[in-house]
Amino acid sequence: MIEFRVNGNVQQVDVEGDTPLLWVLRDVIALTGTKFGCGMGLCGACTVQLNGQPIRACITPVSAITGQEITTIEGLGSIKDIHPVQQAWIDENVPQCGYCQSGQIMSASALLAQNPNPSDDEIKQYMSGNICRCGTYPRIQKAIKRAAKSLQTTGFAVHIQESNFDLATEVQS
Amino acid sequence: MSDLTLSRRQFFKMSAAASGGLVLASGISACMTQTHSSGNEDLWKANAWVTLHPDGRIEFVLDRVEMGQGTLTGLTTLLAEEMDVKPELIEIKFAPADPTYRNPDYGLQITGGSNSLSSSWEQIRESGAVIRTVMKQAASRVWKVEPSECVTSDSQVMHPPTNQALKYSDLYKLAINERIPNDIELKDPSEFKLIGKHNQRLDAPLKSTGAANFGIDTQIEGMAYAVVARSPVIGGKVKHFDPSSVMAMTGVKQVVQITSGVAVVAEQYWQARKALNALAIEWNEGQNASLSTDRVFELYKKAADDDEGDKRRDDGDIDEALATAAKIVDVEYQAPFLAHATMEPQNCVAHVQEDRCDVWAPTQGPDVAQVAVAKVTDLSLDQIFIHTTFIGGGFGRRLTQDFTAEAAEISAKTKLPIKLIWSREDDTKHDLYRPASYHRLKAGLSKDGQLIGWQHQIVCSKILSWYVWDAAPAQFPWAPKFMYNTLANVGLAGEGVVAPEDHSPFEGADSYPYSVANIDVRYTHADAGVPVTYWRSVGHSQNAFVVEGFMNEMAHAAEQDPYTFKRALLKDIPQALAVLDQVAKSANWGNPKAGRHQGLAIHKSFGTWVAQVVEVSLNGNQYQVEKVYCVVDCGLAVNPDVVHSQMESGVVFALTAAKYGQIDIEDGKVRQSNFHDYQMLRMNECPEIIVDIIPSANAPTGVGEPGVPPLAPALADALFSATGQRLRSLPLTLN
Repeated sequence: MIEFRVNGNVQQVDVEGDTPLLWVLRDVIALTGTKFGCGMGLCGACTVQLNGQPIRACITPVSAITGQEITTIEGLGSIKDIHPVQQAWIDENVPQCGYCQSGQIMSASALLAQNPNPSDDEIKQYMSGNICRCGTYPRIQKAIKRAAKSLQTTGFAVHIQESNFDLATEVQS
Repeated sequence: MSDLTLSRRQFFKMSAAASGGLVLASGISACMTQTHSSGNEDLWKANAWVTLHPDGRIEFVLDRVEMGQGTLTGLTTLLAEEMDVKPELIEIKFAPADPTYRNPDYGLQITGGSNSLSSSWEQIRESGAVIRTVMKQAASRVWKVEPSECVTSDSQVMHPPTNQALKYSDLYKLAINERIPNDIELKDPSEFKLIGKHNQRLDAPLKSTGAANFGIDTQIEGMAYAVVARSPVIGGKVKHFDPSSVMAMTGVKQVVQITSGVAVVAEQYWQARKALNALAIEWNEGQNASLSTDRVFELYKKAADDDEGDKRRDDGDIDEALATAAKIVDVEYQAPFLAHATMEPQNCVAHVQEDRCDVWAPTQGPDVAQVAVAKVTDLSLDQIFIHTTFIGGGFGRRLTQDFTAEAAEISAKTKLPIKLIWSREDDTKHDLYRPASYHRLKAGLSKDGQLIGWQHQIVCSKILSWYVWDAAPAQFPWAPKFMYNTLANVGLAGEGVVAPEDHSPFEGADSYPYSVANIDVRYTHADAGVPVTYWRSVGHSQNAFVVEGFMNEMAHAAEQDPYTFKRALLKDIPQALAVLDQVAKSANWGNPKAGRHQGLAIHKSFGTWVAQVVEVSLNGNQYQVEKVYCVVDCGLAVNPDVVHSQMESGVVFALTAAKYGQIDIEDGKVRQSNFHDYQMLRMNECPEIIVDIIPSANAPTGVGEPGVPPLAPALADALFSATGQRLRSLPLTLN
C-alpha cells in the first residue's frame, strides 16, 4: 500500500511501486484530467505538481511520491471554483482540442507561483517542455500574462504554493 | 451523392419531450440519405436535433465531432442566433452513428475537409428559425396579435406595442401545435447578434479544468486494459508467441492474437504494458522487409519515367510553349511521409456482447467505425452503438478506424469490456501517413519575362486505396457483410463514376490559379505499400509547397519580385488579389527589419484563400521563424476568434512539418518513435502570428485546414532570400 495526498485528500493505493503516477491518478483514483501523451516525459501532457513543483507524472514511479502532496488540474480549480490561471485560459480562448491544456495549466500555475511577473522570454523557456499540437502557444503566452496580472491583485499564487507546502510537511512528519 | 448538396430539402417535426419540453426533429428525405428504413409511413427519418426543456435548458445534437477546430462553438452559434437564445444555455450531445447525421458532402458521417460550417450553414439556422417562428406564432395567439408584431430575444417572445413578454419555456405546449411554415425565413445578416460576433469558445471551461471527457477518459463497469504489439515491419504478421511467460505477471488476464498482432489484457494499463514488453513475439515480415524511404522515391521516379500519368489539366499547348520559351526552369520537388501525432494517442473502449456492441471512441467517422466493428464481430451495423467523445486532435488520423476494430476484436475474443490504449510509439510507428510525393516541374519564360508554360507531374499514392475498405460499406449500411469487399472493389474500380474521385494526390495542383496560357498537370499513380490517409489539408499540404515554391522560383528566374509576379497573374481573381495585397501591406512586404528575410505564398483550399508572409532570421545554418503574417478570406467568419485561432493553429502545424516533419522507413520499419525523433514545434520556437480576416458577406468556407498549405513555400522562399539556397525537399534544412 502506497500512501500520498492528492488535492488535499489522503490516497492509499495498492499498486506495484514502479507504476507511473499518471496511471495511478487516471486508472485507480479516476482523476482523468491529467493526460497521457508520450510516456517519456517529452510532451508535458501529464504535468502535475509535487509540493508545488511541476513534474511529469508519466515517468514518476508512484513509490517516489510516498507521503507527498500532489496537485492535479482538478485540485487547482473547477468550473464552480475557478483558478485565475484557468480563468485566463477561458478568457483568451486558449484550448482547441484541449488535450494538452491540463498539463499546460499545471506548468503555467507553477511558473507564476515561482515568478509572479515573468517576461515573454521567461514564459517561452519555462513552457517549452509542454507540447501543444494545435499550436495554441501564442494564446498560452497571452493567458499567462493575463493570469499574472490577475494573481498580482488577488495574491492567489502565493496562497496556493504555501498551502501545498504545509500539507506536504504535515504528511511527512 | 453530389446531388445531395444541390437539392437538399430539410423537413421538420415537433413533438413533446418526456421532460415536458419540446423536441424539434429535422431530417432530409430518406431516398437522399439512403437510409435502410426505406419508405413506410415516414418519408424521412428524423432524429432529435434540438430539445427544449421546461427549465430553459436546450439540448442540441452535434453531428460533427469537436477535435479542436471549433465546430462545437460554430454550429451552436448558428442555432443560438436563429433561436434567439444565449449560446451558453445550449448543452451539446454528440451524435450517435446514424445515417441522419451524415455529412451531406460525403454521404458518410465523417468530420473532415473543413466543411462543418459550410455544409450546415443553412440547415442549422433553419432549425433555429423554425423554433423562433413557432414561438412567435404561439405567443401571438395568446396575445391575439399579429406574429409580425412580435420580436424574440434571450429565450423570450415580446410584443413591444403592448409591452408583453412570454418565455419560450411557457410556450412549449402551445408551440407544439403550431404549423411549421413551408418557407423558413432566416434572419437578415443585419439582424445578427451572434454570427460574426460571438467569440467565446463554448468548450473552453471544460477544457481548462480537466473536465472534458476525451475517448481515453472513458470508464465503464468491469473494464480491462489492453495494449497491442504490431509487426515492426509494415504489413507483417504474427509467426509465434508464447503467452505462458507473461500470464503469471501481476494483473494479466488474457493474451490473445488479433488481426493486427498480439493483445495483452490486464487489470491496469501499466500491468498490460509491462507484460507486453516482456512478451517475445516472432513475426513473419512479409513483402515489405526491405522497404525503405529511398526505395519509395526510386519507385516514384521510375513511375514518373514509365508513365506520363493522367491529365488533370491541359490548357493550351505546353510542348509548343516550352519549345518557344526563352528560358526554361526544370526541377524536382519531394515531400515525405508524415505522422499525425495527435496529442491524444489512439484509443478505444469497446464492449462486445452477444447481441450488441458499445464503442466509445474519439473518432472522426462513427459510421465507418460501425463497419470496422462489424467486420471483426458477428454483429450487424444496427447492433453496433458508437458513442463519440471530445477528441484530442484529429488532423485526419481518426477517419481511419483501425483502433476501433482492434478494441472490438479484443473485446469479442476476451469477452471483456476493453479499453485499448496505444503508446506514443505505437501511434508514431503504426500511423497511416500523409503520402510521400515526388514532383517534376518545368516552366518557361518568354523573352520579356512572362510565364508562358507550366508543367507539373505528380507521383504519389492514393488515399482512397486505403480508405475505401471501411468507407464504401459505410455508405451502404443495408448491404450484407459478404458484400463489403465487393463494395470496396467496386468503389475503387468505379472511382469517379460510382464512387467519388480521389483528388488527394493532385488537389491544389490541378487548380493552379495563375493566368498562364499553357498548363499541363498530370498525375502518375505509384504505391509502395506504406499505409496512408488524410492529413490536415490533405493533398494541398504537399502540392502548395510545390506549386507556390516553384512559382517563387519562376519569379526569381524572371528577375521579378514574387509578390508583383504573382499579383499580375492573379488579376482575374479578386478574392485572391485582396488576400495577397492585404498580406503584403500587413507585412510591409519588401522592407523587412534588419536581419530578417521574407517569403510569401498564397493558396486556396477548402473554398478559402489564405496568403502568408514568413519572416526568418538566421544563426549559422539554423533558422528561426520570427513572424508570420496571415490573411484569410473564409467568407463570413461566424466566430472571428475561432478563425484567428485556426489560422494560428495551421501556421504552427505547418511550421512543425516544414521544419521537422519526416517519417522514414528502414528495413520495412518506421524509424521514428516518439517526440524526441518526431519533433513538434515548441513554445520557444513559436513565431509571432498576425492574422487578418477579409470582411465578407459570403457563406462561410473552411478554416480548419486552409491555414496550413502556404506556410512551407513561404518559408522556403524566405530561406532562399536569406541564403540563396533553394530547398525543394521537405523538411526544410539549410546546408
